[in-house]
Amino acid sequence: MNPRFGRTELPERQAKALRKAIRFEWGTLAFLAVAITMVYLVMGSSQAMKAAWIEDLLSLAPPIAFLLAVRLVNKTPNPKYPYGYHRSVGVAHLVAGVALFTMGAFLIYDSATGLITAEHPPIGSVVLFGQTVWLGWLMMGAMALTIPLPIYFGRVKMRLAEELHDKVLYADADMNKADWMTAAGSIVGVAGIGLGLWWTDAAAALFIAASILSDGFKNMKAAITDLMDTRATTFDDGRPHPDAAKVDAYLESLPWVARAGSRVRDQGHVFHVEAFVVPHRGMMPTLTELLDARDGCIDLDWKVQDIVLVPIDELPEEVGGPDRSRQSERNR
Amino acid sequence: MGRFLRSTGAIALAVTVLTGCATVPADPDGTLERVQGGVLRVGVTENAPWVELSDGGDPSGTEPALILEFAERLDAEVEWTPGSEATLAEALEAGELDLVIGGFVEDTPWTEFGASTRPYVEAGTAEGNDKHVMLAPLGENAFLVALETFLDEQAVS
Repeated sequence: MNPRFGRTELPERQAKALRKAIRFEWGTLAFLAVAITMVYLVMGSSQAMKAAWIEDLLSLAPPIAFLLAVRLVNKTPNPKYPYGYHRSVGVAHLVAGVALFTMGAFLIYDSATGLITAEHPPIGSVVLFGQTVWLGWLMMGAMALTIPLPIYFGRVKMRLAEELHDKVLYADADMNKADWMTAAGSIVGVAGIGLGLWWTDAAAALFIAASILSDGFKNMKAAITDLMDTRATTFDDGRPHPDAAKVDAYLESLPWVARAGSRVRDQGHVFHVEAFVVPHRGMMPTLTELLDARDGCIDLDWKVQDIVLVPIDELPEEVGGPDRSRQSERNR
Repeated sequence: MGRFLRSTGAIALAVTVLTGCATVPADPDGTLERVQGGVLRVGVTENAPWVELSDGGDPSGTEPALILEFAERLDAEVEWTPGSEATLAEALEAGELDLVIGGFVEDTPWTEFGASTRPYVEAGTAEGNDKHVMLAPLGENAFLVALETFLDEQAVS
């Protein structure tokens, strides 16, 4: 049986993408475990290395959130959770966003203080195979090793995020990009120290912190607006999701429908659709016609799963009806 | 044009890296260069048997002996400045000293004022093993690495 998102058994294509995403997230966790240990061992007192290490620690959040969320959303709706468990994705997304944002703010404060008070970071030596070696070389080597995999992970995850309409996966792909840029930044910082420029380290850390802060802000905002039931958007929050227009167009193509307008909210992977339908005068639909219309909508896209059809005399204001026409209050 | 810029950039980078190798890490304030053939300004605080001070004479003990040898290698004269840990740490941070010794241990509270070396010797005490370090100026990494390299070569017990 294919994996499910709530009641939706995933189509073959998405099921494959999901299995691949799960494999990649486990791979990411394994990579991070190695990277975190390695960077910790050579961290020393470099600000940029510290920022990179904290960034690696935070990068654990999205994969863990994703793996937890795909387990939770597998449960079907029940009397206690009538809408299912899809929102766990939104909650995971919010947690990841807030963690990123907070850490970005802290690191900006930390490295700006270092710059203003002109802290000169000491980086000494280590003994390696009987040789005394400057620790900076090890730092740069360790950071260089953590660059290629995040680039690869990020690219694959971005594609899978689109396929699965999964914003946690998207946030994680973003995080991978921040990861390798962070690594490149700390190489520059440590190399600067090596050349006797004490400020490059704090400057690189500041640059890294700014990118973490902006990722955190973007993801936090996206997660909050989704939990606020903003209209459904594409996986990258770039534009309104086309499914809403598709549902309306399909319903209006039915012979008994005069006008249709729907509210679509993103539940995590799948959409909850409330479609308001105004029948032609004197053409009140039969129960069969309503059921057929519902099934037709669900066939449009696997993401349309929780759909409610509401026959009504005029469309509510939010979905193109006349002013002051609401759906949940008597207004005339 | 693009290719020209790229190859020029690559050459510039290669030159930087190659000429850099000899001087990486470098001192932002040039401590190592100044001390070589010059004066090594060392702060000493009493802590027997590591540092013992006597009236009028030069300090003695394990660490002053090490430092004299280090200075010899750098072809430098040693200028001793006795004082309390706090005054010496502040002088080190202000750039008035190049080194502070006084039997400091690994978890010394003065790391905001100076860069501690790697522990160069372990000494058993009643509470366990103390790992001994010295304090160099913050961020003067060429000097720090030179000192650590010297200490690595010593068999201190």
